[in-house]
Amino acid sequence: MATTACFIIVSRNDIPIYEAEVGSAAKREDAAQLHQFILHAALDIVQDLAWTTSAMFLKSIDRFNDLVVSVYVTAGHILYIFN
Amino acid sequence: MVDPASTPLGKMLLEEITPVVMVLCTPNVEEACLKNGLSFVQMLTPFCNFNNIDAVLVRTASDQPYRLQKFKLRLFYASDIRQPNLEVAEERLKQVITQAGERDFSELSIDPPHVDDLVSRSEPEILPSWFQVFNKELIRTLSFSDHEAFDHPVACLLVVSSKDEEPINRFVDLFNTNKLPSLLNDGVMDPMILKHYLLLHDNQDETSEKATKILTEMRGTFGPNDCQLLCINSSKDGPLQHQDNPWSQFKLDALPGQHLGCFLNIDDFNEIKDILQELSTKHIIPYMEQKIHVLNQKVSATRKGFRNQIKNLWWRKGKEDELDSLNGPIYTFSSIESQIRILGDYAFMLQDYDLALSNYHLISTDYKLDKAWKRYAAVQEMMGLTYFLLDQSRKEAESCMENAFDTYLKIESAGQQNATRCGLWWIGMLKARDQHKEAATVYFRICGEDPLHSAVMLEQASYCYFFSKPTMLHKYGFHLVLSGDHYKKCDQVKHAIRTYKSAISVYKETTWDHIKDYVHFHIGRWYAFLGLYDIAVMHMLEVLACSHQSKKNQELFLRDFLQIVQKTGKTFEVFKLKLPVISISSLKVIFEDQRTYASPAAASVKESIWHSLEEDMVPSLTTARSNWLELQSKLMPKKYKESNICVAGGMKIPFLKQSSQQLEVVLIWETGDPEAIKVDVEFRNPLQISISISGVSLICELSASPEEMKSDASSSAIELQNDENKNSRTSVDIISPFILSEVDFTLAGGETILVQLTVAPRVEGILKIVGVRWKLSSSVVGFHNFESNFLNTKIVKGRNSKHSPINELKFMVIESLPKLEGFIHPFPESTYVGDLRPLVLELRNQSKYPVQNLKMKISHPRFLVIGNQEELNIKFPTFLEKTINVETNGGLAKSNTISQGVFSFPEDIMVLEETPLRWSLWLRTAVPGDISFYITVYYEMGEVSGVMRYRILRMHYNLKVLPSLDVSFQISPCPLRMQEFLLRMNVLNQTSSESFQVHQLSSVAKQWGISLLQPVDGVLPSRSLFPHQALSCFFMLKDHKSLTSENRISSPSLHLESDVKLGPQSDDETLYEVSRLPLADFHNCERLHQGTLQQGIQHRVDFILISRLLRSNIHAGASDLHLFSHHACHCSLSSKSPISWLVDGPRTICHDFAASFCEINVRMTISNSADGVVSVHVNPSDSHSSGGQSSNAAAAAHHSEDQAGWHDIPVAKDIKVTSDVLATQAGKSMSLESVLPFIWSGSSFTKVLIEPKSTVEVPLQICVFAPGTYDLSNYVLNWNLVPASSDEGNLGEQKPSSGVCQGYPYHLTVLQST
Repeated sequence: MATTACFIIVSRNDIPIYEAEVGSAAKREDAAQLHQFILHAALDIVQDLAWTTSAMFLKSIDRFNDLVVSVYVTAGHILYIFN
Repeated sequence: MVDPASTPLGKMLLEEITPVVMVLCTPNVEEACLKNGLSFVQMLTPFCNFNNIDAVLVRTASDQPYRLQKFKLRLFYASDIRQPNLEVAEERLKQVITQAGERDFSELSIDPPHVDDLVSRSEPEILPSWFQVFNKELIRTLSFSDHEAFDHPVACLLVVSSKDEEPINRFVDLFNTNKLPSLLNDGVMDPMILKHYLLLHDNQDETSEKATKILTEMRGTFGPNDCQLLCINSSKDGPLQHQDNPWSQFKLDALPGQHLGCFLNIDDFNEIKDILQELSTKHIIPYMEQKIHVLNQKVSATRKGFRNQIKNLWWRKGKEDELDSLNGPIYTFSSIESQIRILGDYAFMLQDYDLALSNYHLISTDYKLDKAWKRYAAVQEMMGLTYFLLDQSRKEAESCMENAFDTYLKIESAGQQNATRCGLWWIGMLKARDQHKEAATVYFRICGEDPLHSAVMLEQASYCYFFSKPTMLHKYGFHLVLSGDHYKKCDQVKHAIRTYKSAISVYKETTWDHIKDYVHFHIGRWYAFLGLYDIAVMHMLEVLACSHQSKKNQELFLRDFLQIVQKTGKTFEVFKLKLPVISISSLKVIFEDQRTYASPAAASVKESIWHSLEEDMVPSLTTARSNWLELQSKLMPKKYKESNICVAGGMKIPFLKQSSQQLEVVLIWETGDPEAIKVDVEFRNPLQISISISGVSLICELSASPEEMKSDASSSAIELQNDENKNSRTSVDIISPFILSEVDFTLAGGETILVQLTVAPRVEGILKIVGVRWKLSSSVVGFHNFESNFLNTKIVKGRNSKHSPINELKFMVIESLPKLEGFIHPFPESTYVGDLRPLVLELRNQSKYPVQNLKMKISHPRFLVIGNQEELNIKFPTFLEKTINVETNGGLAKSNTISQGVFSFPEDIMVLEETPLRWSLWLRTAVPGDISFYITVYYEMGEVSGVMRYRILRMHYNLKVLPSLDVSFQISPCPLRMQEFLLRMNVLNQTSSESFQVHQLSSVAKQWGISLLQPVDGVLPSRSLFPHQALSCFFMLKDHKSLTSENRISSPSLHLESDVKLGPQSDDETLYEVSRLPLADFHNCERLHQGTLQQGIQHRVDFILISRLLRSNIHAGASDLHLFSHHACHCSLSSKSPISWLVDGPRTICHDFAASFCEINVRMTISNSADGVVSVHVNPSDSHSSGGQSSNAAAAAHHSEDQAGWHDIPVAKDIKVTSDVLATQAGKSMSLESVLPFIWSGSSFTKVLIEPKSTVEVPLQICVFAPGTYDLSNYVLNWNLVPASSDEGNLGEQKPSSGVCQGYPYHLTVLQST
């Protein structure tokens, strides 16, 4: 059960433009980079998927251990919701 | 589609799943082989591969024979045929990894290649080769398991040396049960296997005769076909060197000097080859064929067909209850399940995959029903491989593999290893089909609890992502990092570094800060762990400016970084150190060429402001439009046009003299400090923790200018370069051609500090500011060059955009010049409006050359007036006091010669060294607000000839001016008398804390006399005006001139003076002389300023109210006395019309109305105050229409207001009574009173022309028909300014040329005479 969530907005060129850690659980020491790592890695999947589907919300496209990545892809930017 | 057999997996399967031959040999055999550095098995191994056994036709279950393309035997010593010890296997794997780590690490380049380069490279180039080795080793740890049959020996090779005693008996002994592997003894395998007997003969020992003899004996004992003789070591000529050693690839750990197989000649090779070929084709393959045959028949009989299947199912259901062992039942070799498995494996090894598959199918259901999960998984695995090799149904193959994988993972003990192997095979399958992405996920799934294995698997997974199409670089990086973490957990630091470094190439250009920091930080740490501090520092540098990290992390990063730097034991010099951040856009270069600055504040003022001030001062060339820049470019050699100029000082000529092998440096010093170039740089600490910065200084280069070198060819041309790296600190101080300032400071978290650095050149030449250097925490030296990203730099002086950025930091250093220093004291920071202060301007010259031709310009001449040198000694404000003797037009009132705002100092004035020039200035601010004073002083250097002839000193002061008194004046003409006015002065103290003492009111022009109507003491007993208090005073204002001309109007009670003391008359305080210099000057300024608003209208009076600031806590000494002057200029005497008039006549008349109507004559005196001729139309109107025209009404109201004020003054005690009320009353009364009729007689309608400044008397007549009181105000004066024939100028356009004036009330009482 995930206790924290990380929310990142990524621009078209894979540049993170907004980052937020949400959730009440005590922060893990490496949470920041772990989340970034996972989300960064998930970009590959997003790039694959985004062109195959017309849906904008891509649910649980990638996971690492108990962390699940869901993405909302807009026309220009990529928006992440991540649990 | 690629042939499955030619894929890596296919090749591997064809090599690894092949018949196993168990070797049993005597020690003598080994001994003979060891002469070649090889064991017996090793000696044979290279010859076990048969790439083309066309001769053999294989016939398995089906009668269709086929040929094997490839065949291989695997030879193992009987002692090796057992399940490997887990720990030993682990150890070996670890060794493989460590070795690989060492090897790869030494090859690791400093910079990871760019991602794009990587992508373009081929797969084997990137993929570390040791993965293959590792995977193979990993799979081998599972060999000889009891649930799989393909590792079970197919045949047994018994080898005895010819040297052995009783060789026949030895053969028998060799196949003794207690030496056999457990597989055979435990009943897992059929102990009745194919045996082959080999006699080894060493040709070096003796001739082969004995061996032949033994062979015959053997053939007699074991059968003629199963015995063979092998002669080795036939090389008679000593050790041989083989060109391509067949063993080299099999025995990797051979010592370098060892020649493998050195005693084996080509005959031996051939013999070994022949024997093994024969063994496989004549014995093993036929044996396997036969066994397949037999087993197949048996299986067909018992298991094939519908009946058998039903029976089998029934039987297994029944068996289920009694078996509860975890791995299902124990299957012996004789059980039908084992036999099916053997049949399948044999068929697989003989590459009859169809047969193998059908048997695997059969057995897999059995195992599943038996819940023998391990065996089930193993069979599934084999099915997957068979599908793969058959190149049929990919889906089936994959589902089989997945099934096997999952099943392995389900069984708790030892399943992981099997799963790993299964996974690796599965991956091989996926890779063969270019499904790299899927392969990567399988790798990820393989990762078990063992971190080391996981690390390798993750790394392989990352490469899979890398090779997938399209390349999944993000995943690649992530998995590399994951793998690196695992490596680190197993202390494989070198591997960890390697993986992280590969990952850097992915993350290098991203902006994912946390990732980058994490990777660099850990690499740095690990390098430090390995003792490679230099590289560690390089990586740690990357994470220093981590503003996004938490404070804790920042501390950690910085601490670790400093620790590592300390361990290196030297000071690091880092180009573009990221801590602290230098904001290049904040870079400001302040230098002085012609333009010098009195204060730093002056230097930051916009150039255009100075420019506008200096335009009139600097000498202009013949060309009309010339500014300093053009001038400069004309005066200077073209070469230096682009470079800025700064002035050197101090060392004049560095002169090297060689004398008796001793280099002497003779320095000729000049007085005067070099003029420093100041560079403002902003340092920002991005971290939340404080950092200490020390030794911040500029990096500069000073080179003698090429021209100098040419002209001074005789003198030694030395390149004056400051190379601080070579010179020691102390020597720099002497030899360095410039002086650098050093700054130390501590930056708190998030703080930004603006640091001013200076460089002062001491010799002429070209000075270039290269960059800035600093020391972080006194251990790391950082550099930053300005040029690199200079594009956005805003240089104060750099307004010439055409200059290339580099030139902005390039200066031409010229010889020492005089420079004036100037300041004004005491310049207040804030003051009140009207505060009159004496100030002193002091100019100092530090050089020995005098400067002359001084000029000065002030941006606000209205507030700052230039005085005289003599005024320095006078006492303020006493000298302003009026004395009786002094002639008012006396010497001090002489105004300075100021042309176009530029004040030229007297020509004889020079500023010499050590005799500062002092000059008095007067400050009086007229308006509240913040005022910036800009003062420029121009001066010329007399004797110094050079690039610059003149310089400009710029001074800048800011003054805050607070409002003090609000003074307003109202003048209303007296309707009764010409040239007499009522003056009302309203004073409001606008300050919140200060009290003022009103002292004196002066009219500036002497013709106007003022007299106080009521002593101020009555209204203001304390004489001082407290904060927010208002005061109204009334004065009578009279024209002296008119007083003399019109002697009939006089009021002896009031004596009229141009200055009125507002204090008690008895007070002995004297009045101030307003016509003296500072006051007169300021008044002129005010006049000019206020006059612009309403120009050209005559009859104006200027007033000056002088007040003093009362400070209770300060005893009013003469110096502390603050004098305030408030100037009200151009106070209008009359209304907007140029004419004024007066109606004069009888006030009371008695007339007998019974006789006739009454005719009354009145006079109207009209005076023209305008410059031009005015024609006035007197237009009495009988019908009184006060409300007819709004403008008239307004005018009437205005007049009546004045009237009311006039009449009511003596009565009104309360000054607060507003005149509006009175005005309305007057208006009302007017309309009421004018009911009674009277008629203006016709002659009253006159038109007169009045010359300028003259008075005309017009007779008027009215007819009254009844007694009563009449108001004769119902007339209108229409005046017209007659346009002058001569030029009127533009002034005429501004003022009204015509107008209408409503008449004054004039009350006339007519009584009935008795």
